[in-house]
Amino acid sequence: MRVPVGARVGLFALVIMGSYSYFANSIPQIESKPPEELSLEGGNVTPAQLVKAGEQIFKTKGTCEICHRVGQKGTRAPDLAGVGARAGKTKPGMSGKQYIIESLLQPGAYIVEGYPPIMPAVDKPPIALNRSELWAVTAFLESLGGTVDVTLDDIPKTAGTAAGGGAPAEVKLPGDPKAGEAVFAGKGGCIACHKAGKIGASPVGPDLSQIAKIQTPDYIMRKILDPKGMGTVAGFPPGVMPQAFGQTLASKEYMDLVAFLLTLK
Amino acid sequence: MKGCGGGRLAAGAVLVFALLVLFVTVVPAGAQDAAKDPAYRHFPILGSRLAVWAVAQLHLNFAAFILGCPIFAVIIEIIGWRTRDAKYDWLAHEFVKLTFAAFSTTALLGAFLLFLFVGYYPKFWTYMTSIFFPTYWVYALLFFAETFIVYLWYYGWDWLSGPRKWIHVGLGVLSNLVGTAILFVANSWVTFMISPAGITESGALKGSVWAAINNFTWMPINVHRLIANIVFGGTIAAAYAAFRFLSAETDEERARYDWMGYIGNFVALSAFIVLPFAGYWLGREIYAFNQTMGITMMGGFMSWLWIIQALLIGILFLGSNYYLWLGMERIPGSERYRKFVPPMLLVLTVGFMIWATPRSMVVTLDEARAMGGTHHPALGFFGVMSAKNTVVNLMILTTFLSFVLYRRANRVSTKSWVRTGMMLQWAAIFVAAIIVVFYGVYGYFVESMVRIGFSVYQVLAVLSAIVVVMAIDIPMFRGARSTGTIRWGTIAPRSQYVLILLAVTFTWLMGLMGFARSGIRQHWHVYAVLRDTSAEAVTPALGYAANVITIVTTVFFLLVSFIFWLGGLSERGNAGAHGHAAPVISGASDPRP
Repeated sequence: MRVPVGARVGLFALVIMGSYSYFANSIPQIESKPPEELSLEGGNVTPAQLVKAGEQIFKTKGTCEICHRVGQKGTRAPDLAGVGARAGKTKPGMSGKQYIIESLLQPGAYIVEGYPPIMPAVDKPPIALNRSELWAVTAFLESLGGTVDVTLDDIPKTAGTAAGGGAPAEVKLPGDPKAGEAVFAGKGGCIACHKAGKIGASPVGPDLSQIAKIQTPDYIMRKILDPKGMGTVAGFPPGVMPQAFGQTLASKEYMDLVAFLLTLK
Repeated sequence: MKGCGGGRLAAGAVLVFALLVLFVTVVPAGAQDAAKDPAYRHFPILGSRLAVWAVAQLHLNFAAFILGCPIFAVIIEIIGWRTRDAKYDWLAHEFVKLTFAAFSTTALLGAFLLFLFVGYYPKFWTYMTSIFFPTYWVYALLFFAETFIVYLWYYGWDWLSGPRKWIHVGLGVLSNLVGTAILFVANSWVTFMISPAGITESGALKGSVWAAINNFTWMPINVHRLIANIVFGGTIAAAYAAFRFLSAETDEERARYDWMGYIGNFVALSAFIVLPFAGYWLGREIYAFNQTMGITMMGGFMSWLWIIQALLIGILFLGSNYYLWLGMERIPGSERYRKFVPPMLLVLTVGFMIWATPRSMVVTLDEARAMGGTHHPALGFFGVMSAKNTVVNLMILTTFLSFVLYRRANRVSTKSWVRTGMMLQWAAIFVAAIIVVFYGVYGYFVESMVRIGFSVYQVLAVLSAIVVVMAIDIPMFRGARSTGTIRWGTIAPRSQYVLILLAVTFTWLMGLMGFARSGIRQHWHVYAVLRDTSAEAVTPALGYAANVITIVTTVFFLLVSFIFWLGGLSERGNAGAHGHAAPVISGASDPRP
């Protein structure tokens, strides 16, 4: 029986494309996932937790490992082994943490000899680390041969403001902070896990006493509605915060609660 | 027949006009709605991303074909016009017929893509509109103009013949200019998403829209796509001819489509040789725009994509050369050049193997320990750009050599300086090869920024050799003695499967490169400006991408086969339609363009 030309050609084309697909499925399968936002609210973390979080950011959202290695000389960027010890000696009059922070925020300010000036500012998109993340990465780099002494206050307040793509506009929310405090302590039940200034004391969740200082309104609003999707603060158990505030709170209560949290500076 | 054509003209014009009106009315309305609506909606079953991906790839395939094919169709028409050889006019008409058949489908897919953006990615579309709205009008008007010019070009073939042929050729040239302008406008949107420019930190347009259009990757992609469209058009036209060759029932028909397939492949190969150079330029501009993006593209999660690309391009090189070598068997006198085939095959095969060598191997922990790392101690040296740039340039030189040998297969130069000319040609090729190898080896000893610059010298060496060889070859073989006419139609049938392999592979490669172009933005709609916050923001792994590309490419070929079949219905039983009786080719004159 003579097979029609169309069938022969069609089968031939399918075999070719099938082979390409087979090959593409046989090699390493790597997805590129959007980075998760890390929040170290209230500063209630130990140095060890901070370093661990920083290492995680170094390898994922920070994309530092594309150029930098620890304990291995790179062609694009310096080996970071021992950077915590030598950072304080690199620029006269500048402490180790100051030098590291400057390197992260203004990489062009000092270029290590023999390397091209290719590093982007990591608080700007597309990497766009927020202040908490910059704090953690600095701690991790300090831990590479040095002592971790960086605090959140060492990170400039202006750093990370463009995170997420574009500088956030100033937000004026219509909520009533006083009513929001009542929601926090009452219907919302937040007080059961979080401390917020003078109220609450439970260590189940992060201390929110300075939440408006370290996080954007957008983050706070989204975190209430989708705690799981926004990630869990380092050092705290995941999946504890209820996922149903979007259904249980009325819209006014939600806005009041946000307005209250934004007063916590 | 004329009535049928007129009906199609009217239907086509109405369709395009309706799409135009929809385009300019839906965009602002959609933008207003989007401001109130959610950022994303979910496309049923497939998901929004997959729906946009599939339709965008299909649209690009069709658009590339209808923009690429007329470029060489008009050149072939000009050759026919100046040489008064009717077979070229017939061939040009055949190519435009294929283009014409795919025209409406391209417009429909474009409209569908627009609806998907407006409906399923409203915030994204609002943002793009806030930057590019003035260009929408330009695009719509250009599309309108292109439609009428192409219709007039196709339907006016007989009307504008004889002394009015120059007007007809002018229409062909004009359709290409307008088509290229359409491509450039659409590219400004795509490239802005990769390398945004002319905007503030918050993403708002700073001044003129021109700054957003003229971003880092715009011109490299314009050039790259323009060349790639010609390759694509050539391979699809050649595959069509191959199908007709395999289905042919007479020697005459076989000869005709053998010749058409040869021309299609010649066009594709000529453009394909310069395509990698345009690719280098694009890569350099991506690095210049953003080092992180460049490094992510070449060394990050996408690094293995380039191994697949190398495999595909290697197949294209091997296939193109194999087709030329098979083609030489139907040329009397070509026997004297067969001795060059084994060394050329060796260069291509070794080049292919080196280009497809990955930098890091997929190994177990024990294997990595035994090897001393994930880089093989010997083969690892072939996994870097120095080696790959070197071999691809040598493969281009070899392919060019194949073409030169094919070109002179049945000709013997009668010029007195033939010996000197040949020596100069060989010298040009060897000097280029030495320069390419020198910079390839030297590249291992310098920094990456310096090494990237070496590829320019390698490219220039190869291009110079091509120019020198052809500058000598053309006068050297002018008035040459013939050793016999080409026996069109007697080529081995497997050669036609090679043409189909080339078309399928190039189409698949286009899909892969489309994935690369979009994938390097990762979780950004507009890189570093507008983040993709949808549930589908993950950039999938290569296996998934390959499966999607295969399915979409299959759909493309099914659609294109159906459309070509529809286009051929009107010609069936009417070989002299439009005054274009199919020419007799068998044993005819040498049809080198």
